Amino acid sequence: MFRFYGLLKYSFICIWSVYVIAPFMWAITTSFKDFNSVTGGATYIPWVDFEPTLDGWRQLLLSPSEGGVALVQPYLNSIMVTLLSSAISLVLGTLAAYSLSRFKFRAGFIKNSDITFFFISQRIMPPVVLSLPFFIMLGHLGLLDTLIGLTIVYIVLLLPIAVWIMVDFFNKIPVEIDETALIDGCNPVQAFFRVVLPNSIPGIVVASLFCIIFGWTDFFFAFILTFTEVQLLPVAVVALNSSITPWWSLSAAALISVAPLIIVAFIVERYLSKGNLSGALK
Amino acid sequence: MKLTKLTAFLLGSVMLGGTAHADKWSDMFPHIKNSGDIPGECSYESMSKKDYSGRKLTINTHAVPVMGEPTALHAEQFAKLTGADVNVIHTPAGDLYSKAMVPFQTGQAPYDIVFGFSQWISDWKQYLEPVPAKYVNMKQMQDVTNSHIDVNSWDGTMYQFPIDGDRHYLKYRKDVIDNPEMQAKYKAETGKELRVPQTWKEYGEIATFFNGWDWDNDGELEYGSAEVMAKDNLMFAAFFSRAVAYAKNPKTPGGFFFDLETMEPQVNNPGFVEALTDWVAATKYVPPGGINFTLGDETMSFGGGQTLFSFSWDDAFVAAMEDGSPIKNKVGAAPLPGAEKVWNRSTGKWDNEYNQAPYIVWGWTSAVAKKSKNHDMAFDYLCFFSNDANHRADIAIGRFGVNPFRKSDFDPDLYVKNQGWDPEIASEYSKTLLDMEEKSTNRVFPLRTPGVAQFTSAVATGTSKALAGQLTPQEALDEVAAEWKKIIARVGEDKLREAYAVGVALEDNLE
Amino acid sequence: MNFKHKYIFLLPGLLVLLAILIFPIGFTVRLSLSSWDSFYPGLDFIGIDNYIRLFSDDPRFWEAFGRLAILSSVTVTLQYVLGFTLAHLVWKDIVFKRFFRVLFLIPMMTTPVIMTVLWRTIFHESLGPINDILSLFDVTPRWLSDETLALVTVMIVEVWQWTPFMFLLLLAGLLSLPKEPYLAAEIDGAGPLRKFIYVTFPLMAPISVGAIIIRLIEASKIMDTIFVMTSGGPGTSTETSSFYIFIKGLREFQMGYSAAMSFTYLIIMIISLTVIANILVKVFVKGN
Repeated sequence: MFRFYGLLKYSFICIWSVYVIAPFMWAITTSFKDFNSVTGGATYIPWVDFEPTLDGWRQLLLSPSEGGVALVQPYLNSIMVTLLSSAISLVLGTLAAYSLSRFKFRAGFIKNSDITFFFISQRIMPPVVLSLPFFIMLGHLGLLDTLIGLTIVYIVLLLPIAVWIMVDFFNKIPVEIDETALIDGCNPVQAFFRVVLPNSIPGIVVASLFCIIFGWTDFFFAFILTFTEVQLLPVAVVALNSSITPWWSLSAAALISVAPLIIVAFIVERYLSKGNLSGALK
Repeated sequence: MKLTKLTAFLLGSVMLGGTAHADKWSDMFPHIKNSGDIPGECSYESMSKKDYSGRKLTINTHAVPVMGEPTALHAEQFAKLTGADVNVIHTPAGDLYSKAMVPFQTGQAPYDIVFGFSQWISDWKQYLEPVPAKYVNMKQMQDVTNSHIDVNSWDGTMYQFPIDGDRHYLKYRKDVIDNPEMQAKYKAETGKELRVPQTWKEYGEIATFFNGWDWDNDGELEYGSAEVMAKDNLMFAAFFSRAVAYAKNPKTPGGFFFDLETMEPQVNNPGFVEALTDWVAATKYVPPGGINFTLGDETMSFGGGQTLFSFSWDDAFVAAMEDGSPIKNKVGAAPLPGAEKVWNRSTGKWDNEYNQAPYIVWGWTSAVAKKSKNHDMAFDYLCFFSNDANHRADIAIGRFGVNPFRKSDFDPDLYVKNQGWDPEIASEYSKTLLDMEEKSTNRVFPLRTPGVAQFTSAVATGTSKALAGQLTPQEALDEVAAEWKKIIARVGEDKLREAYAVGVALEDNLE
Repeated sequence: MNFKHKYIFLLPGLLVLLAILIFPIGFTVRLSLSSWDSFYPGLDFIGIDNYIRLFSDDPRFWEAFGRLAILSSVTVTLQYVLGFTLAHLVWKDIVFKRFFRVLFLIPMMTTPVIMTVLWRTIFHESLGPINDILSLFDVTPRWLSDETLALVTVMIVEVWQWTPFMFLLLLAGLLSLPKEPYLAAEIDGAGPLRKFIYVTFPLMAPISVGAIIIRLIEASKIMDTIFVMTSGGPGTSTETSSFYIFIKGLREFQMGYSAAMSFTYLIIMIISLTVIANILVKVFVKGN
């Protein structure tokens, strides 16, 4: 009975792993193809099914006047904007979340849960319509096509996530911990920084992960609000989409754009496991 | 002896000096090595005399390589020659409109130059700086064909700077249509001649015959036709190409998309419905997934040897004729098929006679923003982009997407020498295009009214519903016509009529 | 605890958000009361005409909403079930536990826009690998050209992309569960199934509800996948609200009308989500 269950477990994991990996395998092999290797039907193994070339990869380094898409600068820009806006959103969001979890707010009929919902509801609005007013707003402030302008807009996108995740995590940390610290003579601010925060590392790690992901992968606002100075990675990659969709360079670009986040995934996993230990130390 | 030697020496150095002058630019800029710099107001020589150092030019263009690569290349060259700082941004085709319009409509001009489709002229001409007379009168501009001057002008003023030409034409596999074995087989099984189809019905018959079997012995199945059917912002043009033969009646001037007097949409008249019925039937002879083909898919399909026919823009033909393509020199070009009957809206009946009408499809164009502070630099750049030397080099590079639009472009030798085309194919290509541009009298101009994006979007939605089988062709086009009426109400009937009249005048007063 | 300090914590975040948002939201509302168009740019005032048009003359919007409801609910349910299963599987000790945890996170790290283009090539009916392999069995499904199948294809891509979201949240939740209830259950002699139903699931209720709600919000905004794979087609069979709003707004440039649609969408979503949240809480918490 257990063996069957074990077999089931591992088969499910294997099937899902194949599902996850398959597109990347396809991307890897496709990144070495060219027009003829693609139009004759699906091909899989280099040298066996088709003649591999480095065109797809080279296109990512060449400048547009040579037929490529220079991805280096957009790559760095994306990193900067994502990290900056995530950091600010995390700080502001964690603070706000803590207060929403621990304290009671009342302003007329607006309660804690309403304020939390207000934060979260910022995610509902489809970005399309916000493009015009943000464009106007940043235009008037002279912040179009700047890192700062984009960061400001991204804070609107990421702050709600930080708030929502941290509220959930803070709610799970028993109030006793805070009270113990207060009894020991700390004021609430000290209680927060010295006691509660260290216990909520898993939450912070998850929140930063989501902030980074949603910031890194945004296409829309980066598209509308930037021109030449600050190009972000998704916009630069989509600019490869000419009359012919170049399967090869897009595959290469996809692989490159996911690479840094894989590193982030490793880091997250480590902290998650660690978080488990600190929970058990209670 | 000495004198001869001296003369020879002097002669030699003069000659060397002369050629050295012509080669100076092609040494610095290998792009024009075949022709060297060709003299003119915007040649390399002329541009080198300008000094734009310290000034910045910003250009929004299409993704690399179509239009994107030549823009970036010429930007680099321009920067080198004049000292300007040129910034180029690349945007996918579907987003060029919004990327330009959002700033325009909010009163900004982050781009000095915008690239786009010439049919947007009515929507954005208010934000564009007209091309100064100086450039209009240049020799290189006078060489542009009339259709392309018309498509870039509004009521006599040139708002857009022509840098490319586009058209729809029929492309076919010569190795099948001109193949005596295939001709015999076709005749034996159908009793009809295998030839370049003259009507859309014939197109459908031949495509159906060659659909779903391996007729070129490459181990893969082939199909009848590759068409742009995906519900994007280009497919409506494929529909109109099929419709013009059935609905553009030389006997009923005064509007094709609308009746100019009443502004009644014509898009659901029997001519259009017949074309849509043909198109729905076409879904049977396109490759698997063909109903979701974008222009890129069509290019890959026909250009990769998967289908017998294709009929939209140049891209598929160019891809097929690239070095390394398995079907290089096996494809031919011909005018779009006509129709065996054409709808007459005055009499309310079909005129049962052969009708053909080129659809002067819009294509790539460029324009300078009115609010730009760099008009002089911008126009100089565009002029430089399309100067004789650059243009000659550009049309020889298929992936650049720069297609013939000047009278001097239609010289078959260009393609034979620079791209290795078969002379017969090069002649056929040049003649087809030139005839469409200059000689036809029954033309349809693209819809260029305010709100054009809404009209074409409605067409895309309606026709794709028919293609998917959600509605019958008549129902689908009735829906489109109803939506068109609503759009007219929003724009204002008079305003629309005024704008549409400009295009109709071009269609009706030929010359 | 009711301290003055509470405002120090809350206000920086709240005020920053409000400051950035106040103009765009206000502008959008004002925009929805105008007829800003490509040929009539500017904020004229036409009252609630846009809204009247939306409610009386635009069945396409409501059809899109219906499709959205189906699409979101199916994908989010799948993502929840699959995500929970996966999280549970890699929670305790199994072989290569850490490798699998990282692996299962990866799809979420990709840029949807880019991955969707890749998926389009994978599902390409003549040149893609899936139909190539399936053709060995004489089956070539019309992934993107059949009305119902297109929706399924979109779901497949969405599940691939966003199950890690649920997976991560639920795993983090599982990892921070207290040990005591499990020890108590052990003592009572409960097997793995009973432990799950009576201990794990209820303890995970708050996170589950939160995750589902957030995922619903995000799923409803689905744009990239549909835009790249099907452009809302064939016909209109994969058109959702956000896609339709995008078409009207940035393709046709009917900004005023698009703003009215967005605002209506916002209100409807807020109402539905509140209702759904209440239902979920009842189901998850009461069902114990």
